Amino acid sequence: MAPRDCHKALVGGLGALDKELEWFEFHARSLQVDLDIPPHPTCRRYTDFLLRCAHTEVYPILIAMLFGVEASYLAAWSAFTPAGPYEEFIARWSSRDFAAYVQALGGLADRHPHEAAQQHFNQVLVDEREFWKMFWQA
Amino acid sequence: MLHEMLWNSNLDLVQSCLAHPFVQALGDGSLSANLFRGFVAQDTFFLRAFQKAYALALARSEDPEMSAVFCDLIAGVTQELKVHHAYATELGINLQNVVPNSACGAYTDFLLRTAWHTSLAEIVAAMTPCMRLYAYLGGELVRTCGLQHPYRRWIETYSGEEFQGLADRLEALLDQVGADRRAVRDGYRYALECELEFFTAALML
Repeated sequence: MAPRDCHKALVGGLGALDKELEWFEFHARSLQVDLDIPPHPTCRRYTDFLLRCAHTEVYPILIAMLFGVEASYLAAWSAFTPAGPYEEFIARWSSRDFAAYVQALGGLADRHPHEAAQQHFNQVLVDEREFWKMFWQA
Repeated sequence: MLHEMLWNSNLDLVQSCLAHPFVQALGDGSLSANLFRGFVAQDTFFLRAFQKAYALALARSEDPEMSAVFCDLIAGVTQELKVHHAYATELGINLQNVVPNSACGAYTDFLLRTAWHTSLAEIVAAMTPCMRLYAYLGGELVRTCGLQHPYRRWIETYSGEEFQGLADRLEALLDQVGADRRAVRDGYRYALECELEFFTAALML
């Protein structure tokens, strides 16, 4: 169970995630993308890792992993200026609100250290890189 | 029968496993001791996760007879681990703090995610390929396994009646709790893909 001082950021993050899923579902419908298909092996591998850890690893490791997931996304999208055909996407994940959420997660990871946190954080970054490569090389 | 349909529809992967250079070298005895050491270490890491997955399946079963089968399957893994530990002692393999290679990590993450997170049917579907594949490989490799074969004990473990019986019982469970639906077919095939990757990684140690 997450310590009390983490609840606000996590509950806020879940609310934002729900809106994000609705947004993806909207785009999937408009692009006629079938969401009921088996995951790509790279995607499966990453989600297997995340969900396995959610069940077997302690909270300080999980907060470091979540920080890794969100920080890498913020870093990737913040490299671009919100303009052009993907402006909406870039703006979404380089926004001040999203940056504040990522910063809050980083602060929580600092407050709840664990000797295995770095190793799991690093694996998340590797999986994030593979995730981008999956689209690029598909 | 569901288990036959799943096995037969994935024979391409089964045959790729049998023809895999690692399996062929293990079978003809030419596999280097160093590669075998690495394989035993990775497989020990894998079996510890596999045993936990059985335990999680056991926790989900309401039928006492089914629970008894899972207990026997768990004991079967303990037996396999004893063989691994015996090899570790003989060949000087360090089984403490084994770091999984990429293929082993992906496979165990898949198994444990499935075991913690999904239905009994999906768990059994994800675990059956390993048991049936090893029973099959053991049965094939034992045909040409002479008395002086360096990996004779390994081959006999998987070709033996005891292991074959455990694979049969797990398949019977799959027929009992499983159904021909996508998650079951998908998990079964992915497990076999993981098996193939596991052998490939074992050559790269």
